[in-house]
Amino acid sequence: MAAPTLLDRAAGLAGAAGAELLRRLQHVRLPGAGQASTTDDPGTAARRWRAVTVLRPPAEVGTGADLPAPLAALGERVEVRVTPAPGDRGSELAARFREPAGEEDLGRLRAALREAKQLLEVGEVLRVDPQPHGRRAGTPQGAALEGAAASAGKEGVL
Amino acid sequence: MRAATWTGVNEVSVETVPDPQILNDHDVILRVRRTTTCGSDLHLIGGYIPAMRAGDVLGHEFMGEVVEVGRGVRHRRVGDRVVVNSFVACGSCWYCRQELYSLCDNGNPNPGITEGLWGQSPGGCIGYSHAMGGYAGSHAEYVRVPYADVGAFVVPDEVSDDRALFASDAVSTGWTGADLAGTKPGDVVAVWGAGGVGQMAARAAMLLGAERVLVVDRVPERLAQVREHVGAGTIDYSQTDVLAELREATGGRGPDVCIEAVGMEAHSPGVHGVYDQVKQQLRLQTGRSSAVREAVLACRKGGSVFVLGVFAGLVDKFPLGAVMNKGLTLRGAQVHGQRYTPRILEHMARGELVTEHLATHVMPLEEAPRGYQLFKDKEDGCVRAVFTP
Ligand SMILES: NC(=O)c1ccc[n+]([C@@H]2O[C@H](COP(=O)([O-])OP(=O)(O)OC[C@H]3O[C@@H](n4cnc5c(N)ncnc54)[C@H](O)[C@@H]3O)[C@@H](O)[C@H]2O)c1
Ligand SMILES: [Zn+2]
Ligand SMILES: [Zn+2]
Repeated sequence: MAAPTLLDRAAGLAGAAGAELLRRLQHVRLPGAGQASTTDDPGTAARRWRAVTVLRPPAEVGTGADLPAPLAALGERVEVRVTPAPGDRGSELAARFREPAGEEDLGRLRAALREAKQLLEVGEVLRVDPQPHGRRAGTPQGAALEGAAASAGKEGVL
Repeated sequence: MRAATWTGVNEVSVETVPDPQILNDHDVILRVRRTTTCGSDLHLIGGYIPAMRAGDVLGHEFMGEVVEVGRGVRHRRVGDRVVVNSFVACGSCWYCRQELYSLCDNGNPNPGITEGLWGQSPGGCIGYSHAMGGYAGSHAEYVRVPYADVGAFVVPDEVSDDRALFASDAVSTGWTGADLAGTKPGDVVAVWGAGGVGQMAARAAMLLGAERVLVVDRVPERLAQVREHVGAGTIDYSQTDVLAELREATGGRGPDVCIEAVGMEAHSPGVHGVYDQVKQQLRLQTGRSSAVREAVLACRKGGSVFVLGVFAGLVDKFPLGAVMNKGLTLRGAQVHGQRYTPRILEHMARGELVTEHLATHVMPLEEAPRGYQLFKDKEDGCVRAVFTP
């Protein structure tokens, strides 16, 4: 195999490892460091409501097919709940899968909730790629970070 | 275009990179006129915040001219001379409405990284690693500014580029600390760190009515600037006992407000300093907090301590007992620049806030590696290196 291809493949693996590392960080509870989303077992975690608070009245959040597109796209697979938030904070927009869901599904749901919130509050989803940058050295650490950043919209404690 | 990039631990290069583009309707593109080094960059460059990728464009304190506007921009026009806040804030979420702009819910496209670390994600920051959003920085000929109506402010004609530049980050950060620490007329305020941020925290405290302001550092040129340009008193911690000096200066009470503007690479003499260095290198703590510790011990009973210096994770030997038993208010924040920039520009226009002296070294962008070296080593009296792309 040509050296560049090998390097590409190594970088690809490291990128996946970065995403995996970030995913794991969510489930680690070190005293004082890191913030586990949950100490739940994966099954319980997958059934939990995931929620964002949106500074818009519940009526503007919509229901069913009128929900912001990223959430509506998940269709009948998710159950959505919209309730007024206390203290003039708008609405609590929560969603969960009806059937058992895997890490990939949860990632999509987190991203969909964040994007829905941005569409409701700002009117567009913030983009960051492509950004100007200089030469990327093909190091595994660099690729791992890139993988972590690329998946960061789908990860977190949400 | 040309841009200064991070290429490895303690390594800055100048490279040719693609021009930025408008990616969102609320973006503008700026031609950068002035962009400067900040103490926060040192934490990045030194590898203390391990979320930089080789080739990332550095820089988050800058001003320039608008050359392109997105379709959704209402209040900025091509040709506007603007200063831009380092934090990216949407202006529409609950935090932005509370004027807590650096806590914006929608400013960081990579929220998963900081949520994992801290439980919630603050906003994003231009040119400040993938953990803070992965935005390309301002040490370049052009830079993209998201949510431009919220974070880019037109500079009044009376304010020069060299003065306006520091409204971007150093002054707004200092103001954030002095204001949110609750500084009020009659207070005695002590500030740790005489870099751009500490000096401006001191100046903000004076403009908020503090009776007396004292700044602690050990770099003679910086302390001289504090006396000459800020008009505050100074304490050289390498020459004297800071806690004793502060007791003496406050009738034994201790300062009402203590602002820490040093950050995770705080220096401390003697055995404590060695202990902190070793623990940080072994990654058993991610920051050295000697200045915060001293601020907590110095503060009067019931007083307020504000952490402006950047920390990322854990620190050791934190005097929580003093916080609790002395009834202190402990608070910290990244800069809420959008909240304070309008009034900062007014003070600048009236000549009440001068910042030009911070720009000790002005040079072309091509010399950014030398600028960072001077700034990091505090050589030749360097307080801020300013690049003119
Ligand atoms: N909160 C924010 O939004 C924000 C914004 C900008 C900068 N910062 C942070 O503020 C801090 C200061 O920034 P700066 O640009 O002025 O940095 P700087 O590096 O120019 O200045 C730091 C100063 O602290 C002094 N110092 C070191 N150890 C000390 C100690 N134990 N006691 C007293 N002084 C000590 C140094 O001699 C130096 O003069 C950094 O941590 C930076 O990351 C925070
Ligand atoms: Zn800064
Ligand atoms: Zn916001």
